[in-house]
Amino acid sequence: MSSLQNLINNWSQYRKGIEEGGFHHYEHRWGMAIDLNACIGCNACSTACYAENNLAVVGPERFAKGHFMHWMRVERYWDQPEKEFPEQGASFLPMMCQQCGAAPCEPVCPVVATYHTPDGLNAQVYNRCIGSRYCNNNCPYRVRYFNFWSYYESSWPEPLNMQLNPDLTVRDKGVMEKCTFCVQRIRTAKDKAKMENRKVKDGEFTTACAQACPTNAIHFGDLMDPESQVTKLWATHQVSRVDEQGRPRHEQDKQNPELRGYRVLEELNTDPSVMYLERVRETLA
Amino acid sequence: MKDIAIHSQEKDIREDLPWKQINTDILRSLDNPRRGYWYSIIVCLVLLAIGFTAEVIQYQHGMGMSKNHPHMWNLYIATFIFWIGMSHSGTLLSAILHIVHADWRKPIYRFAEAMTTFSLMTALLFPVIHLGRLWNFYWVVPYIPSRGTWPNFRSPLSWDGFAIMTYLTSSALFLYIGMLPDLAIARDNTTGWRKRLYSTLSLGWCGNDRQWRVFRKAYMLMAIFLIPLAVSVHSIVSSDFAMSINPGWHVTTFPPYFVAGALYSGCAAIITLFILLRYYFRWEEYMTLPILEKICKLTFAIAMMWTYLNLVEFASVWYGHDVYGKEVLWGKMTGAYAPAFWSMMFFGSVLPFTLAFRSLRRHIPTMMAVSILLNVGMWLERWMIVSPTLSQSFYPWSWDVMWPTLTSWAIVLGSFGWFGLLFLVFVKIFPSVSMYEVKEMVYHRKLATEKAAARVGGAAPAYGAHMKKEDAV
Amino acid sequence: MKKSHRLLGLFSNFDEATKAIYDIRADKVSGVSVNDVTLISPIEHPEVEEALGDRGVHVQFFTLFGGLFGLIGSWLWISAAQATFLVQPQGGKPVVTLVTNFVLNYEMMILGGVLFTLIGLLVGARLPSRPGTLYSEKISLDQIGILLEVNEPNLAPLKSLFHLHNVVEIREEIIR
Repeated sequence: MSSLQNLINNWSQYRKGIEEGGFHHYEHRWGMAIDLNACIGCNACSTACYAENNLAVVGPERFAKGHFMHWMRVERYWDQPEKEFPEQGASFLPMMCQQCGAAPCEPVCPVVATYHTPDGLNAQVYNRCIGSRYCNNNCPYRVRYFNFWSYYESSWPEPLNMQLNPDLTVRDKGVMEKCTFCVQRIRTAKDKAKMENRKVKDGEFTTACAQACPTNAIHFGDLMDPESQVTKLWATHQVSRVDEQGRPRHEQDKQNPELRGYRVLEELNTDPSVMYLERVRETLA
Repeated sequence: MKDIAIHSQEKDIREDLPWKQINTDILRSLDNPRRGYWYSIIVCLVLLAIGFTAEVIQYQHGMGMSKNHPHMWNLYIATFIFWIGMSHSGTLLSAILHIVHADWRKPIYRFAEAMTTFSLMTALLFPVIHLGRLWNFYWVVPYIPSRGTWPNFRSPLSWDGFAIMTYLTSSALFLYIGMLPDLAIARDNTTGWRKRLYSTLSLGWCGNDRQWRVFRKAYMLMAIFLIPLAVSVHSIVSSDFAMSINPGWHVTTFPPYFVAGALYSGCAAIITLFILLRYYFRWEEYMTLPILEKICKLTFAIAMMWTYLNLVEFASVWYGHDVYGKEVLWGKMTGAYAPAFWSMMFFGSVLPFTLAFRSLRRHIPTMMAVSILLNVGMWLERWMIVSPTLSQSFYPWSWDVMWPTLTSWAIVLGSFGWFGLLFLVFVKIFPSVSMYEVKEMVYHRKLATEKAAARVGGAAPAYGAHMKKEDAV
Repeated sequence: MKKSHRLLGLFSNFDEATKAIYDIRADKVSGVSVNDVTLISPIEHPEVEEALGDRGVHVQFFTLFGGLFGLIGSWLWISAAQATFLVQPQGGKPVVTLVTNFVLNYEMMILGGVLFTLIGLLVGARLPSRPGTLYSEKISLDQIGILLEVNEPNLAPLKSLFHLHNVVEIREEIIR
């Protein structure tokens, strides 16, 4: 009865989709800006992610079979065949969960193991996951990784198990996992700020990948904070997410070569939280 | 003169079949099959053992036994759709033919409905087997949760759960209720544990007019419910794909396409099982060639429907000019999966033309081979729905072709053993041809014959003399 | 009024049995009405049942109720569950998604309809029950039975009526 009462009382609130601003009043919306001009493809971000998030090291055979667990991967594309040595022409794309605002992975999970937090993150609840893997099928970026085996049995032979991060779990076989934007760091920073009765400051903490990047290609911050570096970068390049009031995104001026910002597969309307800054290429002409 | 008028067309069933013989012939299936039946049981047990072993290994080690990164779904989901599809013809055709009072349904609907029920039970295994943590599968069920957690009512996977449970419950009830009068017959003609079983299951059916009246209406109402239900079930299964955003899956023609495919493979399976049962239990009197021909014609029509919907899907992808969808389609036709794709097209669209020839339709070994190959084609269709999209989705980095592993093949084979075993046990325990309805069929034919005889001026035989004189006490 | 005897006539000819019922209908036996007649037959038999006159069937009301219950009940249930399980806002979609819930409501309508039809069948046909002591195995084979509950004085005229229509066997018992 009380649940029916609840349904009637809050009807209009429960019927709001993302177009009307959605159900959540966001506290934060964590986002990134990745400057591909600066990316040298060194894989430091990926390594840092392995260390921070207890990612299983699977070994070459399993990797070749497609049983890898790298939440943060650096993709290489050779798209400059005119170069004398094609190897020279590689361009890099660090790819991790894009923490979409309208994430295709979320509504398909049969048990609500993946859901949207008031921080604007896609959370993956390992305990709830039953491993139907529908989320990965519906993820256009294919950034979700499945524990095909009990990797922990062989990934960290003694004494490497001592280096596991105690702030988060080691996952067993059968659950899906993916980049969390280092949610354990976000939690710590929020708790600290709350204890000191203040807001989380920009630059107070960052994700492992951003921290490890030698060229500072990865910027991390709160898109709700108008003063944060990420917000400013997004604004400079005229990229915007759907905001809390559901205001339309402003159109990017396609004629302006200075505006390098884009989001991957934006035409799918997934509203990703990661903006990439296109690489400026030297032209032979 | 009279004979010509009546017998110009071959009959679905002999109208002078004595009712006593109907009882004996059908009840004989409960204890006296041909030896081929036992061989089939052994084959099924072996297959089941293989599948079960593979499943135990996979359970122990993890889903890496059968999947890899972009291929999160693979043979299991393809086989799941295959079994769901196969379940469609039994109950759906039985219900449709019941509503339109097609008498030729009567000797074949019981085993077709059993096929529905058991292939659903087989299908139900696959979403569970394919789970990473299958010991938690019940979290998809909306039981009253003490911690306030519910399943996701928006996920097509949980719709699957609802739809399959509804379909399984309804078609099992439809099968059971249609069997009530036959269970009473079995009760009256058996001894020992069988008598106890049938006495309990027949609920004390005695065939009084109150029971028949309510039965007639209730059975009809259920048939009416089952038709839209069956259509909805396979459309919901198609939503697993159509509701996703993947190129090659996100296709609006998927629901009707799936339903047509389901009817198709179901009809082909009915032909296979028809021939098998006819052989096992020597039921040439009941599962007659004219009835086989009717199913074959129906299968042919559905095959053409399927072909059309297939082509429409390709055309809409082609003209829609969605780059990703087009790439997937082109990949299917020319890429690594091309042999499977073109086999599917051959088995699904070319092979059914054998059903268009009368002499082939009446040739039992040919029909056996064709019906099995049609189902091979339909199985390939399901695989060609699942895998090519996963191998070539939006994101080029994840493009990868994966061939099924030994483990997944073993589990797929095991499912055939499981289905076969359930089905074979069923036909041995329950009368798999409806006795009371075959009697009705014989009776209706008799009345029709008498009417026709009266029309041509011959003397009508004694009205209602539906039994041999010597049977009268 | 409680009757003293139960009488079952078995006929091997459906036509004769139908005629016997028409005779009872025409009050050929005084004190016996067609409403006392129960027809027991091996097959579904609308032609013969016509002789019994109109006897109502109410299973469709069960079905209607079940269908509506499934439809409305599941709508309330699922929407209320979604509204209390607020972690669900996902993929930019509302908390209570009417369009997709319709799929489930549709399924539940059918499930409700089918289950209540089953209940209607059991209630309407008075199942489970026992076939009764007079029940003959020949009925499930090929004979049709006419069962009547009558008082002692009507027994003899009924039996002669049955014999007139070539009854194969007559069984009777005293109702205790």
